[in-house]
Amino acid sequence: MLIELTRWLEHSALGQGIHNSSWLFPFIEVFHLIAIGILGGAVLLIDFRLFGWGLKRHSASELSRDVQPVLNIGLVTLIVSGFLLYASEGAKMYFNSAFRFKMLCLLLAVVYTFTWHRRIAGRSEDPEAPPNAKLAGALSLLLWLCVGLGGRAIGFI
Amino acid sequence: MGAMQWLEATAFSAYLRESLWTYPIIESIHVLGLALFLGFAILLDLRLLGVGMRHVKVSELTERILPWTFVGAGIMVVTGILLFAGDPAKFYGSIFMRIKFLMLGAALLNAWYFHHSSDYLIRLPNWDGSMATPTRAKVAAVVSIVMWCLIVAMGRWIAYFLPA
Repeated sequence: MLIELTRWLEHSALGQGIHNSSWLFPFIEVFHLIAIGILGGAVLLIDFRLFGWGLKRHSASELSRDVQPVLNIGLVTLIVSGFLLYASEGAKMYFNSAFRFKMLCLLLAVVYTFTWHRRIAGRSEDPEAPPNAKLAGALSLLLWLCVGLGGRAIGFI
Repeated sequence: MGAMQWLEATAFSAYLRESLWTYPIIESIHVLGLALFLGFAILLDLRLLGVGMRHVKVSELTERILPWTFVGAGIMVVTGILLFAGDPAKFYGSIFMRIKFLMLGAALLNAWYFHHSSDYLIRLPNWDGSMATPTRAKVAAVVSIVMWCLIVAMGRWIAYFLPA
């Protein structure tokens, strides 16, 4: 089912256009990389606060509210640019174990970020870190790290 | 150019070039450094523009977040030098590498100029907690975002369009 969709996407005008262009793929990759920076900055700011580093005068909940739009923009840019890269050579990536690992970690990271992580960060209004804060921050960093390393490994497997 | 050939002939350069895992691991750390450096730099820029981080004072960001961008920059410089050392003659000849270095200089000059301007050095207490930031801060922030994004682009394209 997914592989049929992937093949269809690869043979669509969109997939073929990117695949046949000499500069579109690296051009889209730049957006993917900049989005890593944008999402990474937002995630790190919250996780650092959960560790008790950085902007200690603000509660984790206040910081995560301030930084949420930045996180969302980074994530959407990552997914859109990643989808375009996938459209151009999806069938190759579909069978790549690093890509599958990355997608699994991405799913876990996104679900985790918008559920438990958000609840822990949002629980406390006072500047003291909420309970389980360090664990929540470490799990977030670990999941996003796996997404990144999985992405880097796609080209090497 | 002689220096590049000398570096390329060292055992260290050969090790980086021929390693199976070392080079991709250094590349990964270079990109992870990007999340720390670019991510935090953009958060500061958004605050200087008056469009993000509205509950945080500018001085809090420059005192408590800027040191982390220096850590990120340090990671990027060290891993960047190692990546360069793996194939110095080719990278030296790359047009994108040269543009990237010019832009790095311009981006650093922009940051230095703003941090030494009277708007920041003298008048910061007047607008520290406000989203109505001075024009000079906004200009510095836009230049910073544009330059760092272009630097990322140049960095990515170096590997695509290497001289033969």
